[in-house]
Amino acid sequence: MRNMLAAIWAEYMKIRKSRIFWIMLLFFIFIPFMMALLMFVQKYPELSSKLGMIGTKATLLRLGEANWPNYFGLLFQTSAAIGLIGFGFITSWVFGREYADYTIKDILALPVSRSYIVIAKFILVIVWCLLLSFILFAFGIIFGRVIDLSDWSIELVFRSGYKYLLITLLTVSLCTPVAFFASFGRGYLLPIGFVILTLIIANFTGLVGLGPYFPWAIPGIYSVPSDIQLGTISILILFLTCILGLIGTIIWWRHADHK
Amino acid sequence: MTDIIKTENLTKYFGKVRAVSDLSIKVRKGEIYGFLGLNGAGKTTTIRLLLGIIRPSSGVSFIFGKQVKPGINDIWNKTGYLVEIPYSYPDLTVRENLEIIRRLRSINEKDVVDSIITKLKLGEHSDKLVKNLSQGNAQRLGLAKAFIHNPELLILDEPANGLDPAGIVEIRELLHDLAYNKGVTIFISSHILDEISKFASKIGIIHEGRLIQEIDTEKLGNLFEKRLLLNSINNKSAIALLIKNNYSVKFNEDGILEIKSESACKNPEDVATLLVNAGLPPTLLKVEEEDLESYFLRTISMKGFNI
Repeated sequence: MRNMLAAIWAEYMKIRKSRIFWIMLLFFIFIPFMMALLMFVQKYPELSSKLGMIGTKATLLRLGEANWPNYFGLLFQTSAAIGLIGFGFITSWVFGREYADYTIKDILALPVSRSYIVIAKFILVIVWCLLLSFILFAFGIIFGRVIDLSDWSIELVFRSGYKYLLITLLTVSLCTPVAFFASFGRGYLLPIGFVILTLIIANFTGLVGLGPYFPWAIPGIYSVPSDIQLGTISILILFLTCILGLIGTIIWWRHADHK
Repeated sequence: MTDIIKTENLTKYFGKVRAVSDLSIKVRKGEIYGFLGLNGAGKTTTIRLLLGIIRPSSGVSFIFGKQVKPGINDIWNKTGYLVEIPYSYPDLTVRENLEIIRRLRSINEKDVVDSIITKLKLGEHSDKLVKNLSQGNAQRLGLAKAFIHNPELLILDEPANGLDPAGIVEIRELLHDLAYNKGVTIFISSHILDEISKFASKIGIIHEGRLIQEIDTEKLGNLFEKRLLLNSINNKSAIALLIKNNYSVKFNEDGILEIKSESACKNPEDVATLLVNAGLPPTLLKVEEEDLESYFLRTISMKGFNI
């Protein structure tokens, strides 16, 4: 247990002292700002023409009435999409940086089990992703209050917060395969390529109706009101993907050649 | 004596390339084992195998009597290591990097960080970010990480890389003290052969992945070739005289006369007397011993390897 805590502390230090931590923080504050801006444009359509592209985008998204339920809907979709990219990026960094910075060899022959190091990394990835999600949601509410959207209620905030949390957890669970590819590819390139590929395939499977069976499409499907129902099989697929990624990463760290 | 490191037919292939071949070595407690080889000879691969960073294609290695394999972590409690160029987390300070290692090694005494900083003379850099360190100080930090827990075994790959001459001497003295006064076993690879010859107790020469020779450094002197270098006021006459007296003499690449016979090197005064009596007094007379570098290259060539 002490080794595990030491590994968690070490990962915490690496993240807290990195520039990427603050960059991601700003990015996840910027996203709800953009969403609120879209809502603001929707609320004041006369500004649409003056604001050019933003106005066009707001129209194209068919945001509906500028109220809190629609705004939360927008945050859900953003969370699913940005989550896949952002959380994937974070995971790539946490695992890939050991190879990119050539520090991997320093943590392989230590009295701490390599599995503990991998699990500590995953714990920190989860905490970091949850923190960013919380920031996105919290700043989303702040910006929504600033632009004074209609139909506000505490009950809606809690209900939306619960759904938002589920979307976040679904998205975070897909980080484990990214960690495997970061370890397998010994750096950032392969996992980021993998994230982009999953996004493309998720869109494609969504179009042909196979979304519920493709893990990376599932959070997106859950985030939008849709006729497609997510059943146990979808949750099982997502869970299996998460477990396979986790086990694959641990096995890789324990048994592969680390150059 | 106990074998602290032992390998049995350790072999590693990378694809079809055989990086290490049937390597069997033993390093006893308190020994400083100098592991010598050219670039690409298999030194770093061997060290990575010893540390379990890569897996052998065949063969086994033991550290403190325990086989190196996944899940056997307690052997690393007593082992400090440095592989190639030491890298640390660039956004963390020297102190923070050492603190990470202290915690991962479950060292209770918090002051070990301060004492290793002092020992490796990193005091004025302790709060600097690693990305702002010079190569020499980054090397010192790598050594500090290897030494922080007072290990019983040190596995060091080119520890003098990036250090200035004073730093090299300092590290040599530190290693010497650890081995001879504190009983620390040291396995050290280097291509700075002269440096190794100054403090290793045993030397292993690896070439093209194979261990081609192991020598106790005490016996190294017997293996080194000696030659008598001389010049006379008239070298042509001196050559004729020496050949007449059964000395095999020739000009070397520097234009100095050279005799390789054992008797001449053991008794240079005989040669001097001969020349003086013939009216050809020497202007230069010295016995020169081969250094480890020359011996190493000669050994490789003798074994039929290409250099």
